[in-house]
Amino acid sequence: MKPRSSSFEFARLLCLCAALAAGAVWADEYSDVAQLTRDGKFSDALAKADSFLSGKPRDPQMRFLKGIAQRDAGRTADAISTFSRLTEDFPELPEPYNNLGVLYADQNQIEKARGALEMAIRTNPSYSTAHENLGDVYAKLSSAAYSKALQIEGNSNAVSPKLALIRQILAPNLAKAAAIAPVAPIKGIAPVPPVAMAEAPPKAVTPQQKTAPESATAAAAAPKPALDTAAIKEAEAAVQNWVSAWSAKDVKTYLAAYAREFTPSGKLSRSEWERERRSRIEGKAKISVRIEGLQIVVNGSKATAKFRQDYRANGIAISSRKTLEMVKHGDGWKIVRESVGA
Amino acid sequence: MATVGKSFVSQSVRKALRRHALQSTTRWHRSLRGVAATWWLLATLLVTPSLSEAKAPASTPGLSASDGQSEARLLDIYQLMANGNTRDALTKAEKLVRDQPNFQLAQLVYGDLLAARTRRLQSLGDVPDASALGGAPALLDLKEESLRRVTALTDPPPPGTVPSQFLKIAPQTRHAIAIDASRSRLYLFENTASGLRLKSDYYVSVGKFGTLKTQEGDQRTPLGVYFITSTLDTKALNDFYGAGALPLNYPNMLDQRRGKSGSGIWLHGTPPHQYSRAPRSTDGCLVLSNPDLLAIIQSIAVRNTPVVVAAQLVWKSAGQLEDPARSFQSALNAWSNSKVSGDLKKMLAFYTPDFSSAGKSLDQYTPLLKSELKALKGRDLELKNLSYLQWNDSAETMVVSFGEVAKGQRSGVHKRQYWIRSNKEWKIFFEGVH
Repeated sequence: MKPRSSSFEFARLLCLCAALAAGAVWADEYSDVAQLTRDGKFSDALAKADSFLSGKPRDPQMRFLKGIAQRDAGRTADAISTFSRLTEDFPELPEPYNNLGVLYADQNQIEKARGALEMAIRTNPSYSTAHENLGDVYAKLSSAAYSKALQIEGNSNAVSPKLALIRQILAPNLAKAAAIAPVAPIKGIAPVPPVAMAEAPPKAVTPQQKTAPESATAAAAAPKPALDTAAIKEAEAAVQNWVSAWSAKDVKTYLAAYAREFTPSGKLSRSEWERERRSRIEGKAKISVRIEGLQIVVNGSKATAKFRQDYRANGIAISSRKTLEMVKHGDGWKIVRESVGA
Repeated sequence: MATVGKSFVSQSVRKALRRHALQSTTRWHRSLRGVAATWWLLATLLVTPSLSEAKAPASTPGLSASDGQSEARLLDIYQLMANGNTRDALTKAEKLVRDQPNFQLAQLVYGDLLAARTRRLQSLGDVPDASALGGAPALLDLKEESLRRVTALTDPPPPGTVPSQFLKIAPQTRHAIAIDASRSRLYLFENTASGLRLKSDYYVSVGKFGTLKTQEGDQRTPLGVYFITSTLDTKALNDFYGAGALPLNYPNMLDQRRGKSGSGIWLHGTPPHQYSRAPRSTDGCLVLSNPDLLAIIQSIAVRNTPVVVAAQLVWKSAGQLEDPARSFQSALNAWSNSKVSGDLKKMLAFYTPDFSSAGKSLDQYTPLLKSELKALKGRDLELKNLSYLQWNDSAETMVVSFGEVAKGQRSGVHKRQYWIRSNKEWKIFFEGVH
């Protein structure tokens, strides 16, 4: 092997120093955006990310952090678009696919979530967060298929699984993204090897920051709705009406309990859903529905009713947790969303 | 999940399984626990590719070609699983449930294949808490449906045989149907110049309480030789009957003689939210999936098609059916000859004392026979378009149809007779024009 010339060595060293310096500067910017996001200062975080991206529009780490800020700010559609474009520009990175999967699952688009998570694993087979998320998605899809197979009431409306979001692109993966040479860890966030991510839930980024995301969540939560006993009573009556219409096999009243904007889960149209409900209800010789532990939270014209539902029909007995989201219309409280699960 | 190679099943195991195919599945399961496979995976090891390809019902207009292929697609998925190729099996299962979201068995398999990604499967339909969720009966039904669909493919009727009831089918009768309740299978035959040929076969559901209907409301499917009487207009029907309904002539004359009651036994389809029904789930009707029923309705002239419903079909070669056919044919010839002879007394000897036709006793029917003899004037008699189907249970009976034409005439009347054999003698207990 030929020895390299000293001038070449020197040039190489210079380059490396420059790269590291730049990396360190960027690392601060990354950390700032991540911190602002954790603090719930989403518009500041997004502004900072955008100003950075105006100079380096392709930068994957910053675009990734922007996606997380958008997601935490509740701008799901924007976050989906940010992560989607990242997967297009950097198909070799597993993290954007993972987060895209998480966002789809948040929206109960489980098939899409599965597709994205499978891509995450295809890009990095040892990526355990994506593996776990995909496991949850498979379990959810499997239970939906079982519900359809056994015609178990309502389970296909079960709430979407809570999947783990990844908060940064990991250094080894980023190094693979050919677009940028320097790799900088985000200050304050210890680089975690992919395998270790399995034990680390996404919000517990590092021990010293453990509490930050939780307090941020609390701060971001809507103010406690004032108790509105009259509205609660009305909503409660609406739930009871729904239960008794169902038990009485009074399909007309039962369907009238659902708002016009109620969207059935799955790919059913409203009329297909109504037809299915009608045939399911009318097809039973006798139906008994009882609810227990009804809890209603009213917030303005919206209400959420949670209870345990005991359903019996044709020798089938199913007990499940149910949540009804309701909206107050001119003619009373109507159901806009129905889900099963804890 | 354990990968089970095809070679795992030796020829002898294969035979043993085939023998026990219709028995309890628990034995299979037990023997399989060691290899952590599921009983149905093993069942599917018997599926040979050539058979899966052979299973292709005729395409029907108004339906996508794949609609009638759902069973073949399901069995293809089983084959992939048996070969340990769960990835392709999952992809195909996903496509199948997308095309047929109401095919519950396909959903079950899809659920299993997804679950197998996260845990080891212990059995077919390894649904967590199925019984807690109230799904246990449905799960048992689906397992039974699966077994019967697999068995239909792995244990087809011997080539060149037909159900023993089909002694003689007139060339004008283009098709015939036989149903084996023990296998939940409907066999559709085409009547060719060289005899009946099996055209296709379909999964079919029978009564909740099985077969041998005797009275109204017993939720059983009748056993016997029937004919499709008409095609009901689907527009006039409830969704419950699906793609169509073909009424059978239950109770037939033998059923009526035996005092059986009930009516409205139809071959029909499934409601929109259900692709197929459990093996034993109807109120007595014979229920097919809509694509299968449509394939039948659209490929045959259904009216007057014979439908044999048996607890278990016995398959015979043409040679094996020659003797009973010859023996009955000679009795029929003797009856025809007695008519030609013009000897009323000789002819009346062919009718049972408890003969009945549209409420008429033999005494009340005799004047009609007498006038027939008179009109025939000793001319030869031709029995055109002759069919006879045998039905043996506690009695030996024969359902006979023909056009009775006097020599030199161009037309005659269509008759149906029910014969019964007592003391080795064939006698007529019903005769009527149809």
